[in-house]
Amino acid sequence: MPDRGAGRAATIAFEHVTKHYDRREQDRGAPRAVNDLTLAVPAGKVCVLVGPSGCGKTTSLKMVNRLIEPSAGRILIDGADAAARDLTELRRGIGYVIQHVGLFPHETIAENVATVPRLLGWSAARQRGRAEELLTLVGLDPATYAARYPTQLSGGERQRVGVARALAADPPIMLMDEPFGAVDPIVRERLQDEFLRLQESLAKTILFVTHDIDEAIKMGDLVAVLADGGVLAQFGPPAEILASPASAFVARFVGTDRGLKRLSLSRVADLELLAPVTARIGDVGTDAHRRALAGSLPWLLLVDEIDRPVAWIHRDEIRTGEPLAAAHAAPAVPLLDRRATLKDALSILLDADVLAGIVVDQGQRVLGLVTVAEIAGLLRDTAIGDGAGAAVGGRAPGGDGSGSAG
Amino acid sequence: MNIQWDWIAGNLDEIAAATLDHLWLTLIAVGVGFALSLTLGIMAYRRRSLYGPIAGVAGLLYTIPSLALFMVLVPFTGLSVLTAEIGLVSYTLLILVRGVVSGLDGVPRDAVEAATGMGYTASERLARVELPLAVPVIVAALRLATVTTIGLVMVTALIGEGGLGQLMLRGFNRSFPTMVYVGVVASVILAVALDLALVGLQRWLTPWARARAA
Repeated sequence: MPDRGAGRAATIAFEHVTKHYDRREQDRGAPRAVNDLTLAVPAGKVCVLVGPSGCGKTTSLKMVNRLIEPSAGRILIDGADAAARDLTELRRGIGYVIQHVGLFPHETIAENVATVPRLLGWSAARQRGRAEELLTLVGLDPATYAARYPTQLSGGERQRVGVARALAADPPIMLMDEPFGAVDPIVRERLQDEFLRLQESLAKTILFVTHDIDEAIKMGDLVAVLADGGVLAQFGPPAEILASPASAFVARFVGTDRGLKRLSLSRVADLELLAPVTARIGDVGTDAHRRALAGSLPWLLLVDEIDRPVAWIHRDEIRTGEPLAAAHAAPAVPLLDRRATLKDALSILLDADVLAGIVVDQGQRVLGLVTVAEIAGLLRDTAIGDGAGAAVGGRAPGGDGSGSAG
Repeated sequence: MNIQWDWIAGNLDEIAAATLDHLWLTLIAVGVGFALSLTLGIMAYRRRSLYGPIAGVAGLLYTIPSLALFMVLVPFTGLSVLTAEIGLVSYTLLILVRGVVSGLDGVPRDAVEAATGMGYTASERLARVELPLAVPVIVAALRLATVTTIGLVMVTALIGEGGLGQLMLRGFNRSFPTMVYVGVVASVILAVALDLALVGLQRWLTPWARARAA
């Protein structure tokens, strides 16, 4: 069994890294500058570099595998200066996924995936085995895909191959430059989800570049917001950046809807769910009616024998003395998966025009209720953070560049 | 147009020898020209500042009328294969250097960047990524250079070489059109055969170019 290499990860630290270009280089279209960047990424974490175009996020990334050499400062990988390492050996130890994937059009998918193993001189059999293992890992059947060429794949499939290729030699670090940028939003979301699931078991140290704040919030354990000119505007966990932006720039960049964005960081199961008044079909109405009168909602939730929701009955509709039936009931919608984000939950509740949604587990059994009011309460907490953020922004327009290190 | 078939039947040996001679003169010219052009083209690709001078010299050579070039060379290298080949090679350079450079320039930038980022050395990248991806453009230039050279080999008949050109020149001097026709037809066949061979070579080298979305 070839090694999966789960958990092999390294730390990355930028120490006062600066990259500037002189006038002539700028005129020839040099990459963007980076200004005194200091940040540390713990082993096994995803750090997203995010910012508007021209903020130097790609330049920062490329200084790690030295496609660009810093003008000043050091980049430490597991405490060792990257500049002191042999260039090819350094690069072969870093997984690299670029913006447009950059698969080799003249090589088959299996050959593409086995690129670094081949450079490292693995035997042909081991290369093939590793390629098949990785294709399976990213959800592509080797029997179907191994012998194909990149032009025969869809955009989403190519992006998966790009990730598989970067993982081939089990590098402790991955650099990903807008890896899901070239696909449509639906495919992108699926690739993001798959990648997060993969990362749970791989636990690589990942530096991830995007211009999309939503992607940054979703993918990052840590988010570094860079401002124009390559200045670090804020560095911290996504929740912290959304709750208290360090400057007016960060507040503007994360957007006026950052309250809603925070909702996408929490899941329904994280909430304290309301317990509904429930009754089974066929129960006698009298007792159910009494309990419904005592409940906080005027509705009673009818469930089947294994607690799956069937229908809502208003307490005034309950006929005392008769067995409960679904006849006068309203359908039991909407159902919310316990893993749904609060943002999705709110959207579903508003769409369905109801005040409470039924949270269910994987077996569709009722776990509890979530209400619009409860989610709105969380939004109000964010609004308080909003005021604080604006105050900070007022003191330091344009950002003070330090931020809080996570 | 009266072709004397019996002459053709009686002189197949001579026709075959002239054709073979023509083929060799062509292959040597294109082969040496390609080796030079590949070297110069790679140099120009890596150091852009060299491209101007290299293309300039190759372009200058290309503008010299072929007959004049051969005549100028004769006092130095005599009436020899060497004289013929120096001229023939010179004429391939412009087409082939341009082919090599534009082939390499046409390699997708992201494939080159990915290769660099994954730890290919410059020479590994050239051999495994850049040259293989430049093959279609380079082979297109080779086809053009080959067909052009087959035509120019005719001219070297005037300095005593020329393969099928010799045949045609003798036929012309003797007012014997059959020899001229044989020369024309044989050279066309040669050109088509070499062109097809190069197309075959390209197909063999680029299986990926035929793979399209299933």
